[in-house]
Amino acid sequence: MTMPRSYLYFLAVPLVFVADAAFAHAIVVASTPLPNETIAASETEVEVRFNSRVDRARSRLTLVGPGGASVVLPLADGAAETLKSRASGLEDGRYRILWQTLSVDGHITHGEISFQVKR
Amino acid sequence: MQLFIEIYGFLNVTLRGFILTAQSLTLGGLAFLLLPAVAEARLGETARRRAERLIFWSALALCAGEALAAAALGFMLSGTLGLPAGELLGAEAVKIDLLASVLAGAVAFFISSRRDALPAAGLAGLFLLATQIGATHAASRLDHVAGLYVAEFAHMLGVAIWIGGIPYFLIALGAAQTGSRRYVAARFSMISAAGVAMLLGAGVYMAADYLGEPEALYGASYGVMLTAKAGLLLGLLLLGGMNFLTGRELRTDPRGSVSRLRRFAEVEIGVGLTALFCAASLTSLPPARDLPNDRASWNEVVERVEPRWPIRLESPDHASLSTSQPRMIDPGAPRAYAMGETAAPPRNAEDIAWSEYNHHWAGIFVLLMGLLALAEHDRRLAPIAKHWPLTFLGLAGFLFLRADEEVWPLGHLGLIESLRDPEIAQHRLMIVLIILFGLFEWRVRLGKLKAAWAPYVFPVTTAVAAAFLLTHSHGLANPKEEMLIEITHTPLALVGVAAGWARWLELRLDDGPARRIASLVWPVAFILAGLLLMFYREA
Repeated sequence: MTMPRSYLYFLAVPLVFVADAAFAHAIVVASTPLPNETIAASETEVEVRFNSRVDRARSRLTLVGPGGASVVLPLADGAAETLKSRASGLEDGRYRILWQTLSVDGHITHGEISFQVKR
Repeated sequence: MQLFIEIYGFLNVTLRGFILTAQSLTLGGLAFLLLPAVAEARLGETARRRAERLIFWSALALCAGEALAAAALGFMLSGTLGLPAGELLGAEAVKIDLLASVLAGAVAFFISSRRDALPAAGLAGLFLLATQIGATHAASRLDHVAGLYVAEFAHMLGVAIWIGGIPYFLIALGAAQTGSRRYVAARFSMISAAGVAMLLGAGVYMAADYLGEPEALYGASYGVMLTAKAGLLLGLLLLGGMNFLTGRELRTDPRGSVSRLRRFAEVEIGVGLTALFCAASLTSLPPARDLPNDRASWNEVVERVEPRWPIRLESPDHASLSTSQPRMIDPGAPRAYAMGETAAPPRNAEDIAWSEYNHHWAGIFVLLMGLLALAEHDRRLAPIAKHWPLTFLGLAGFLFLRADEEVWPLGHLGLIESLRDPEIAQHRLMIVLIILFGLFEWRVRLGKLKAAWAPYVFPVTTAVAAAFLLTHSHGLANPKEEMLIEITHTPLALVGVAAGWARWLELRLDDGPARRIASLVWPVAFILAGLLLMFYREA
C-alpha cells in the first residue's frame, strides 16, 4: 500500500510522517516470457523491456527455479531500455524471473515475472 | 538495511524536494544579482551582503543535499545488488549527483570570495542547472530528448528566477530607502514575469509530452499530481498579481505601506516551497503516457468522488476484516514495484467499509473544527467557539482506537508489541503530537501562551502537514487504484495549504479587507476538508 490509510486524517493536524512506498520510475512495458506463459522448451530467451533507458551495469535478472534455487543471469547487450539474457537447463515446473533495475535518471524499481515449463 | 529500503522512497522524495528548494534559492539569488534589471545603485551594500550570504548558505545546503542523494543511492544499490564501490560510482545518476554537489560547492566558493567572482558563480550556477537535467525524467526518455532537456532547463530556471528570487526581493525591499522601493518592486516584477513565462512555456511543453493525452490529467496519478501543481501555481500567480498591483501603488505613493507586499511575498515563498516538494513527488512517478492501460475513466473518477449520502457511521465488525487472512498475490501482470513496496493483500468489502467509516468520522471532527473556528467570529458564540482546538483531543482518541485495526484494544497486537512496526509506531507518535498540538493551540486561543511565535505554530504546521500530504512517494503495483486514492487526497492537501497560509496572513497582515478575507478563508478550508473526508470513498 502506498499511503497509510490514516495519512488522510492528518490533513488538519501538524504532522510530518513517512509514507511507506518508494521512489520509482522504470516500469515494464513488455517481457519474454510473458507473465504466466507456459513454454515447452528447456531454454528460453529472457527479455524485459522498460518505458525508459536503464543502467544495465546496475541492474539484475535472477532466475528462481521450482525448488527455490536462484541464479543470476548474465546480461547481454541490447537496446537501451531492455535487460536481455538467456535461461537454459530448464525443467518442468514454475520459474520466476526477479528483476531489479536502475533507470538512467536514478530510480530503482523491481518486480518479478512468473512462467511455467511443461514439456 | 531493510528499514532503509522501506523508507528510501520517502527519503528520496524529501531529499529531492530539499535539493530543488536549495537549487532555486541559489540560482534565484544569482539571477537577482546578475540580471541587469537589478541596478547596482539601487541595491545597497547591506542588502547585497545579505543576498550573498543567503546564496552561500543555499549553495552549501545544495552541495550537502546532492552528496547525500549520491550516498543514499549508492548505499541502496550496494545493499540490494552487493556491488563494489567502483561499480556504484559508475552509475550515471550517482555521477550526476556528485557533479552537482561539486558545482554547488563552486558557487558557494565564488560567492564567498571576491566580489568580482560573481560572474564565475553565475557560470557555475548555469553548469549546475544543466547537470541537474540528468536527474529529471528527460534523462531517461527514449524520444523527444532534446526538446525535453531544453524544457526541463527552462522550467527549473524559471522557478529559480521567480520563486527563488522572492527572498532576495524581500531583502532588497527591507534595505531600500522609501523612494527606491518602487524601483525594487517594479524590477522584481519584470524579472519574475520573465521567470513565470519560462516556467509556464516549458511546463506546458513537458506536460503535453509526459501526459500524452488530455484524459491522463484525471485518469493517471501523474496527471493528478500535475493538476495539484497547477493549482498551487494559480495560487502563486494570484499572490504575485496582488503584489504587482501593490507595487504599482508604490509608484504613485512611494511612502505607501510595503507591509502587505511583504506578507504576500512570505506566503508566496511558502506556497512556492510546497510546489517544489510537489514537483519532487512528481519525479517518483512514471509519465502518464507510459501507462495507457492503467488509467481510470472519467466515469470511474466521478463515481469515486461523487458525494453520497448517508455517510458511513456504522462500522463493520472487526472480526470480518482481512488482517488475519492469508496473503494472496495475483501474478497475472508484470507488475513493477518501487523499492520497499510489496504487493498489498487484497482487501475485502469490510476492510473498505472500516476505512470509510474512519474517514467519515474523522471528517466530522474536522468539520466541527472549521465550524467552531468560523463561529469564533461571532461575539456571542466566541466564548464557547474559541475552545475549538479541543476537538483535536476527540480526533486523537478516535484515531487511537481505529487507525490500526490490528492493535489493542481492537486487534490482537499488544500496544508495546505493535510499536515494532514502523508504520504503527509512526501513527502512535502522530496521535501524541495531535494531543500536544491541540492543547498548545487551545492555550494560545485562551491567551495563556504569550510568546510572539506561539500563534504561528498552527498555520506553519498545518501548511507543512498539507505539503507532506502532497509530497509522498508513489507505489507502482496498482497504478489505477493509486490514482483513485490520489484524486481524493490531493484536494485535501490543497485546502490544507490554503488553510495554513490564510491563517498566516490573518496573523501577519495589518487590519483591512485582505486580513478579514484571510480570517474567513482558513475556517472555510477546514470545513471543506471535513466535507471531503466525510464523503471519502474507497470503492
